[in-house]
Amino acid sequence: MNIIEITGLSKVYDANTMPVYALNGVDLAFQQGEFTCIVGPSGSGKTTMLNMLGGLDSPSSGKIMIDNTDITGLTSRQLINFRLRNIGFVFQSFNLIPVLTARENVEFIMQLQGVNKDQRDQRTLELLDSVGLNDKINTRPNKLSGGQQQRVAVARALASKPKFILADEPTANLDSKSAEILLEIMEKLNREEKITFIFSTHDSRVVAKARRVVTLEDGKILSDVSSTRPGS
Amino acid sequence: MIFIIAFKNVWRNKVRSLIVIASITLGLTGGIFTVSIITGMVEQKIRSGINNEVSHIQVHNPEFLKNYESKYDIPKADSIAGIISNIPLVKAVCTRSRITGMAASPNAAAGIQIMGVDPAREKKVFSLYTTIPDSSGGYFSSTRKNQVVIGRKLADKLKVRMKSKIVLRFQGSDGILYEAAFSITGIFASANSVFDETNVFVRKSDLDKIMGGNCGIQEIAMVLNDNNSIPAVEQALKSKLPGLLVQNWMNIRPDMSMVTSAIAIEVYVILGIILFALAFGIVNTMLMIVFERTRELGMLMAVGMSKSRVFRMIMLETIFLTLIGGIIGMVLSSALIALFSRHGIDLSDFSKGLGAFGFDPKIYPFIKKELYFNLSIMIVLTGILSAVVPARKALKLKPVEAIRIE
Ligand SMILES: Nc1ncnc2c1ncn2[C@@H]1O[C@H](COP(=O)(O)OP(=O)(O)OP(=O)(O)O)[C@@H](O)[C@H]1O
Ligand SMILES: [Mg+2]
Repeated sequence: MNIIEITGLSKVYDANTMPVYALNGVDLAFQQGEFTCIVGPSGSGKTTMLNMLGGLDSPSSGKIMIDNTDITGLTSRQLINFRLRNIGFVFQSFNLIPVLTARENVEFIMQLQGVNKDQRDQRTLELLDSVGLNDKINTRPNKLSGGQQQRVAVARALASKPKFILADEPTANLDSKSAEILLEIMEKLNREEKITFIFSTHDSRVVAKARRVVTLEDGKILSDVSSTRPGS
Repeated sequence: MIFIIAFKNVWRNKVRSLIVIASITLGLTGGIFTVSIITGMVEQKIRSGINNEVSHIQVHNPEFLKNYESKYDIPKADSIAGIISNIPLVKAVCTRSRITGMAASPNAAAGIQIMGVDPAREKKVFSLYTTIPDSSGGYFSSTRKNQVVIGRKLADKLKVRMKSKIVLRFQGSDGILYEAAFSITGIFASANSVFDETNVFVRKSDLDKIMGGNCGIQEIAMVLNDNNSIPAVEQALKSKLPGLLVQNWMNIRPDMSMVTSAIAIEVYVILGIILFALAFGIVNTMLMIVFERTRELGMLMAVGMSKSRVFRMIMLETIFLTLIGGIIGMVLSSALIALFSRHGIDLSDFSKGLGAFGFDPKIYPFIKKELYFNLSIMIVLTGILSAVVPARKALKLKPVEAIRIE
């Protein structure tokens, strides 16, 4: 079953002066449990598309159905709540609240959701354990490496039990070793917990881990290739 | 949770927060201390006015107050004073002859008011005698006849000293003009130089002798054990003494009571202006903070923090910042006030000017307790008002744009 269905999605910037089609009539569907990478040259529309999928930006035309809800019809207030309950985000940087520890950053999302203390505590520890940071639970972001920060961000994104996780260039600021560890963790979560990941990247080693690769160019889909990697 | 994050955020840029807190602290400390000096001066002026000049309640013949003609005296004044002294709330009563006249020395003359008193009873009601310096005699300490106690200011004007003789001229209640020589045995110096220049004190018994036993009583003055019982006693006396005019100190000296109420408002105006000025600094700092945290705020909204929570967080940060400065300011100023009120601040270099307005040259700063309560509310309000602009700015952020900034 498709959890996301995009039809005729377009985004035009500066429509009146010098129109730029960041996205130009994209049709795409994603299924539960995917591990999908969006690639394409700089300016091809990857960020624009992920922002639309996450309800952070509104399209110029087209529809985005997430679990039978057309999110293009939601108000900004409804969207915030929708994001909180359905979508996990991992950004390129500035993911964490600097004054909170790793544990508190993960817990924060559940506090916003109104989850009770016992459940929060238990889930926070499980999640930090699953990203391999059980020795850093009380450390603040500025004492964590970039890779560790991104792992906390993944744990934070998972905390709300979202339908899928969007990650725009999550490894762009990481060295190759940290990037590899992060990807392994994401892959493991996808394999073992059936977590859906949709991420973008410029890094060919990251692309290689994906099971489906969607290539964008000039706001259009150039190719959409699914592969069956060994071991999955 | 928002509460804790907001509090932690205050300390993210310690130097900047401390600068804002220090400016609030200093502004408020200065303001509160200034206010305490003003309040202290006024309280002292009123206290010394009551103690030296007016007492709590006075009784007169209503006609007397129109032109201060001594023929309008209080009939049976001594028995009335006796009745009043039996009221339990009354601490002490005295009766006075008040006669308008002239004082003349070989050098000069001046219009004055002669107070004919019974020194023993007078001292229980008025503490003017305590303002006589040791070097300037006493308050009818010997039994010699025709002694006069005058103010320092009048002594200077008449160019007379202790033991000098002055001539008092006055018209008695019988219409006859009297004249007698008195020798100066005491020179008082209250905080009110106008009072000191226009009042001389003699024994009523001396006046009786000069006038052949005809000197009436124009004034009955009393002090109460507790100034809160002024209205009750005033009311009781009004019904007991129908033909006479009973007045409390505020009626007698409207200037004094006006100063009290004017100062009560002025205090809040001064503090309000200071807080208003500080608010600009707070708004500026918070705008800077919102600007710096654009990406983080965008991220928070992206992951699902509602606008009302973002608004509340910025609000709380501003209030914390303001409140911390405010509390330190209040603590610091109350310590300062406690320190200076023990020994007073000596302004005797400027005292000649102050004395003319009836102020003491030594000031004991003083602040009403309720001021701190009201000020706390004002500080929180300042925090809330200063937070509105930055918090609204934060709300206008769109998550995508906030995150996109590279
Ligand atoms: N706010 C904006 N205003 C105007 N044009 C924009 C805006 N945001 C993006 N664009 C344009 O839309 C196009 C797609 O941008 P987008 O950021 O989605 O590309 P991208 O694939 O994420 O690129 P990169 O790999 O560099 O991150 C680009 O041509 C970009 O210049
Ligand atoms: Mg991009």
